[in-house]
Amino acid sequence: MKVLSKEKLQTAFNKLNEGAEVFVPMQKGTQSGFHPWKSFESDKDALMLDALNVYLPPKNVVFPQTEKMYSIKQKGVEINIDETFENYDPTIIFGARGCDIKGILAMDDVFLTKGYEDSFYKARRQNNTIIANACYESGPNCFCSSMEVNPTDPAGADVIIRDTGKEYVWETKTEKGEAVTAVIADLLEEKEVKLPEAKPFKQNVDYDGVAEKLKGMFEHPMWDKLAEPCVNCGMCTYVCPSCYCFDIQVKMWGDEGYRFRCWDSCMYEEYTREAGGGNPRGAAKERFRNRFLHKLEFFKERYDTPLCTGCGRCIAVCPNGINIIKIIEQVKEAEINE
Amino acid sequence: MSDQDQKCTCNEQPLVPTVVEVIDIIDRTPDVKSFFVKNVDGNGVPFNVAPGQLAMVSHVPVGEGMFSCTWQEEQEHLEFAIKRVGLLTDELHQIEVGQKIGVRGPYGNGFPVEECKGKDMVFIAGGIGLAPLRSFIKYCFKHREDYGKITILYGSRSSADLCFKEELFDLWPKQSNTEVFVTIDNPEEGWDGHVGFVPSYLEEVSPSPNGAIAVTCGPPIMIKFVLKSLEKMGFTDEQVITTLEMRMKCGIGKCGRCNIGSEYVCLDGPVYYLKQLRDLPPEW
Amino acid sequence: MKEITNKIQEIASRLLQEGQVDVFLAWEQGGEAFQTRPYFARTVEEAKNLVFNEYSIHNIANSLLKFRDGQEKIGVVAKGCDSRGIVRLMEDNQISRDRLYIIGIPCPGMKDPLIAARNHSGFNKANESEEGIAKKCRDCIQPNPVIYDELIGEEVAPHFEGERFAKVREIEAMSPDERYKFFEDTLSTCIRCYACRQVCVACDCRTCIFDEMKPQWVGRENNTTDNMMYHIVKASHMAGRCIECGECERVCPVNIPLMVINQKLIKDVDEFFGPYEAGMKYEEGVKPALSMYKEDDPDNFL
Repeated sequence: MKVLSKEKLQTAFNKLNEGAEVFVPMQKGTQSGFHPWKSFESDKDALMLDALNVYLPPKNVVFPQTEKMYSIKQKGVEINIDETFENYDPTIIFGARGCDIKGILAMDDVFLTKGYEDSFYKARRQNNTIIANACYESGPNCFCSSMEVNPTDPAGADVIIRDTGKEYVWETKTEKGEAVTAVIADLLEEKEVKLPEAKPFKQNVDYDGVAEKLKGMFEHPMWDKLAEPCVNCGMCTYVCPSCYCFDIQVKMWGDEGYRFRCWDSCMYEEYTREAGGGNPRGAAKERFRNRFLHKLEFFKERYDTPLCTGCGRCIAVCPNGINIIKIIEQVKEAEINE
Repeated sequence: MSDQDQKCTCNEQPLVPTVVEVIDIIDRTPDVKSFFVKNVDGNGVPFNVAPGQLAMVSHVPVGEGMFSCTWQEEQEHLEFAIKRVGLLTDELHQIEVGQKIGVRGPYGNGFPVEECKGKDMVFIAGGIGLAPLRSFIKYCFKHREDYGKITILYGSRSSADLCFKEELFDLWPKQSNTEVFVTIDNPEEGWDGHVGFVPSYLEEVSPSPNGAIAVTCGPPIMIKFVLKSLEKMGFTDEQVITTLEMRMKCGIGKCGRCNIGSEYVCLDGPVYYLKQLRDLPPEW
Repeated sequence: MKEITNKIQEIASRLLQEGQVDVFLAWEQGGEAFQTRPYFARTVEEAKNLVFNEYSIHNIANSLLKFRDGQEKIGVVAKGCDSRGIVRLMEDNQISRDRLYIIGIPCPGMKDPLIAARNHSGFNKANESEEGIAKKCRDCIQPNPVIYDELIGEEVAPHFEGERFAKVREIEAMSPDERYKFFEDTLSTCIRCYACRQVCVACDCRTCIFDEMKPQWVGRENNTTDNMMYHIVKASHMAGRCIECGECERVCPVNIPLMVINQKLIKDVDEFFGPYEAGMKYEEGVKPALSMYKEDDPDNFL
């Protein structure tokens, strides 16, 4: 099998970075996330490949928080849309965990299927290569295996690396993967090493039948109680590897400007507020319920897979201790009066 | 749906509008204007629409909004009847003929014009809600022999707020086997027509549910009571069609906000049989 | 703390039983100890879920906003910061005194559940110290409730030691360029999740300026310009209103030092229009420093 010694890791990043922008999990100042390798400052930043995961998922690589769409020029009554900003620059996400790759696969479903292909997403995604970091040990909030993710052999990976301690076993999965493997071929050694063994999950979450059961639970009183501690901030949505909702807005300076899209959050009151003032989800509870139903029921109904990937980030960041695992458990236990 | 169903023509870049020219603007009421647009080269339109489909109208430097696009017999221009309710529509109401704006679409499913063939049609609208129904009504009159009796019931706050008066009072009543009923909310000097709310007038007129399809659009509160009246009159959930309004940004089922349950109204709707809506969370 | 929990459960049960309150606001224990979160008990049965533990750090006055349109009588547990938050809401006519039954608790200083959650998560390489009380509690000048109907326990001394505005002075001493750089660096990491706004007890506007679309005052791009605009506008709305509970800074997922900005405003309001300390006492009809105008108000900063 092919092996990349950890000592050669930074050389590998440098090589890969010649032909693509490489995003690597790192602690940067007060934040951990996937940041461009070229921004890495060894005296200030820390590589996070051996951490369970980082706070901000790599979704911004294929779906940036703010993305310019097209230019606008106006002159009197004339309007020109001369330039659109699809970004075809090659990118590599190095060391993504299975849960985060599942998030990107969910976005593939959204942006590339059901009648329309989103040209902005497609441009980035086509030129994006994912090098997965297989997980052999789960964290306290991890439950990806309950959400259709295989942590040791994640779907959607172009290459899978497996941490054996001193080196990474390098396993090429796709054509895109072969291309990046070729770039660092001379850094890889042929060697037999013992693969790590997967440890059992600390959390056992039973999602079986939850989507189906939720269909009959829209009016269940449990939502009132569950939503009460929620302050309706958007933190859970912004750290979520699969939340994809966006807003489209315009920025003008005089007669020139551009239209852009930016992440939006279903937790905000403004999100569904109509021009005439009506709002189908004006109440905090309604927004809370919609978010969890979207994750656990609606997306499953539409795309046949849950939108929650079991990464546990929302559990770790929620200022008021809302825990999606407990919500799934409560759904399982709930009695429905038909 | 039918062969009338149209797909977005800008498939390569579905979020980027096509620039068109406003060739005419008609005041429909004090706060509703119809905007007619055409390709900037003066030839035709960037896309055709089926009755009930939507399109995103972009006053490019200000913003975009989703509006019902009127079905035209000759697809020579696009028409949008737009009520002034917010920032974008305020700005749109100030533009003049010759202004370039953006459009993208068409979006959504449109009315099931084929499935309705052979039926008596009952159209019930309030205020600007007549705009989407007008497409279907125009389509029925174009294919008059395909549909049975046509009943149109329309109401608005005052006589000044009645949209499409020429059609209401002149064109449509002249059509064969067609009845048009118009009502306003409050009595008014010089108005000798019906006064009262749409749902109660509907019960008064009481069109037969036998072999009929009712199509309704209007303010949410009106729809709520119209649905009750229709039920009382014997219309089943399979015989009632409505078209929904939700806030939309992308129009192509991606951006998230117009969902009702697992449906995206911009893509899967906006036209639904009441039967379909009963299966969705009551957030419409 | 167990004693306080027992006492709270006892009082809440009594008040709910007697119908003196319709709902009682305190905390419940989540899955882990540090997942303690606000909880609204409406029955004697539910009152058994109420807890007060070392992670009862949230400013529970913020939860009162969920009840501002109702008529319910509300029992609420208040630490020093919560009580100042309650005064804040009463001053803004968000909730009236006669709807509240306040159980004051002199605060021993809380641990930060988010630090525990981060360390627990496995996402945090440089584990943060969970020793001692949270930063916001170390900075607290008012651990004792300023308003209450019943008090549990004895008053405690302020936790804060040292020079209160030291960090503010440090930034004031910077050159304009250095200062700009400081704010540019700290605010550029903002992800605009608005958690700082949502947990804030001074943010009680029904429609927030950032959600206002007609006109839209602040752009929604996540870039340094719009982020700075967001924080500048938010900060200026905090002037004379921030009760220094530190929740905004505590919940920030990217650790922006928001209290430095708030403290600058606290210091300025006190110097220009004071002596003034927001939410320290409630007197009917008395307005906060910036809610009234005096002919001799200083304007040299304009």
